[in-house]
Amino acid sequence: MTDGALVLAILAVPVGSAALVGLMPTAAAADRFNLATSALTAALALTLAVIALAAAPGEAAHGSWYVVDAASGVFLALVAVIGLASAAVSPAYLRHAGRSWFSARRSHAWYYAAFNVFWAALLALPLADNLALAWLLIEATTAASALLVAFSGKRSALEAGWKYVVLTTLGLAIALLGIVVLFVATGGPDSGLGRVDWTALSGRAGEMPAQATLVAFVLIMVGLASKIGWAPVHNWLPDAHSEAPPPVSAMLSAALLPTVLLIAWRTKLALEPALGGTAVQEIFVGFGLASLAIAVPFLWRPLPWKRLLAYSSLEHMGILALGIGFGTPLAIAGVVLHVAGHGVAKALGFYTAIPLLRQDPSAAVAPPRGVARASAPTAAAMAVSLMSLAGLPPSPLFVSELMVLLGGMDAGLVVVSALAAVLLALGFIGLAHALIEGLLGEKRKRGTLPSSRSARAVALLGATAAVALLALTVAAYALPDSGIVEALAGRGG
Amino acid sequence: MSTATVAALVALGFGVMLVRRRSFAIWLLTAQSLLLGVAALAEAEGGSGLLVAGAILIVRAVALPALLALTRRRTPEPGPVAPATTVVVRLLVATVVSLVAVASVPALGLSDAAAEHGAITLLCLGIAIVIMRRPALVQVLGLLVAENGVYLLAVSVQGGLPFVIELGVLFDLALVVTVAAAFAQRIHGEIGSGDTDLLRGLRD
Repeated sequence: MTDGALVLAILAVPVGSAALVGLMPTAAAADRFNLATSALTAALALTLAVIALAAAPGEAAHGSWYVVDAASGVFLALVAVIGLASAAVSPAYLRHAGRSWFSARRSHAWYYAAFNVFWAALLALPLADNLALAWLLIEATTAASALLVAFSGKRSALEAGWKYVVLTTLGLAIALLGIVVLFVATGGPDSGLGRVDWTALSGRAGEMPAQATLVAFVLIMVGLASKIGWAPVHNWLPDAHSEAPPPVSAMLSAALLPTVLLIAWRTKLALEPALGGTAVQEIFVGFGLASLAIAVPFLWRPLPWKRLLAYSSLEHMGILALGIGFGTPLAIAGVVLHVAGHGVAKALGFYTAIPLLRQDPSAAVAPPRGVARASAPTAAAMAVSLMSLAGLPPSPLFVSELMVLLGGMDAGLVVVSALAAVLLALGFIGLAHALIEGLLGEKRKRGTLPSSRSARAVALLGATAAVALLALTVAAYALPDSGIVEALAGRGG
Repeated sequence: MSTATVAALVALGFGVMLVRRRSFAIWLLTAQSLLLGVAALAEAEGGSGLLVAGAILIVRAVALPALLALTRRRTPEPGPVAPATTVVVRLLVATVVSLVAVASVPALGLSDAAAEHGAITLLCLGIAIVIMRRPALVQVLGLLVAENGVYLLAVSVQGGLPFVIELGVLFDLALVVTVAAAFAQRIHGEIGSGDTDLLRGLRD
């Protein structure tokens, strides 16, 4: 199968699944149908990711609208794995979801239809070879994911979904204005879409007016920041992540945010030749430090489990912004590792909310208590997730954060790195405290204890994630000298 | 685009910010989209250009306002939602936001300075409407005012934007407004009002 056919199939399968899942006669049939099509989607996406990552450093295959390169390989693999895992745990959520926006009879079908449209747009994003096309795909994720955020139909979920739609649409309008300005700045007689291809943008660096290009870049970054959830334009993030169904929260945090961040990263690489490194770096470092500084105080507060994970997403998007801003090979290696490690650990954290909220429904609005006494597998999975996110060795996030900070020093930004190190240490203390408080103490006497089958599933999920995280830590040692980093650092051509 | 047209577009944006009744605000937005759509038609080049501009006009100035008008009818309020601020404050904020926006944003590279200033003003007015107005439906109108600002800049680009972008943006906009309208209806069904000020349960 050629790259083009694979790309087409990767998008056609989830879109087809969204169109056909409504034909399933029962909720259980919809569950099975979605699982089968999701496995196929993930297999196709992972195949393309392997092809992309196996290519020589800097080598990219360009299609009519897509590009298959190292960056698309990394992010495609991430979106595929998180999507498949979310599809796999969705039946467990839906089985006990109770009321929803949609009628009980059709709720599974609507959920899977929106899920697959959202996933298809996310899978297409890393492949987009063009800034305007990437914008269209990012905006396309909004409608489907907003319906998923408000899936429960509860007042709080409607509030979260509403904020998400309004704030991200406004943000993306700002980014679109930036794209129009950039389109003008690229000049030239041809008025085709190709003017804002990644390679065309970097190729025209010498001809682009500096001031208009800088204005365009700032507008695009501010707009994308609202979707990535960078502070100070992150207001929708904690609400949407905490109110969405747990499998969707995982998609939002572990797949959507990093994938939109990739578009910001590609924009940076494309416009850096025209703008110079300093202005571009300052914007990323500014968003990074702001996100860390805003997130850390919330990590110290007693928050419900999913809300805590949401603020942790803000912290981690900040680290990624810093790594991309520093831009040294070591920092970029840290970014790649961080994207993968954060994806696995954060998705596990959100999936753990499914059994947690069943055994203690009050954990939706209050910090969890005594989970270890109520269910050892749930407690173990929470521990794996939160300790990894906190950056406790041997978590790959410890290694990646170290790489980013050392990369910052390499780039001569010692004060920024030192400040980030202090904020990360404070974040670690907050998360460790939240974990101890959540696992220990008296359990609340409400809710349903997981069945032995469910407990085994949670244990398996936790163990699989732990093994994947350890594998990433081991892989970290080979990463800085790899072709992937060479290509992503912009040294691979 | 003529300065008078841009001034009229901005004045209609101010109107959406100031008026209290949702139905009147929808009419003002419709007028703004219609004026912009007709101006875009006048600037369009070639048969395909006219076709795309016509499609955009129909969706922005007819279909989306009709959808919002329908949503308004389905979400009856006992009376206009009490604004959080007086009309004088809203007028003052809209004026200051517009002046600051025009003064602080440097030239965007178009030959048409009026369009540049109009686009930035409408974008900022749209954001101000979303922040200052409480009814969910008026917040959607704020989104559309901001989007009209972007469209104003797009139609002022010499040679226009590629049709793929124009139609893609239109599709996404229609999708998002449809979902937002569904939300507005659902919120009304849940709390008996479209007043987003009543949705303040999520705080840390």
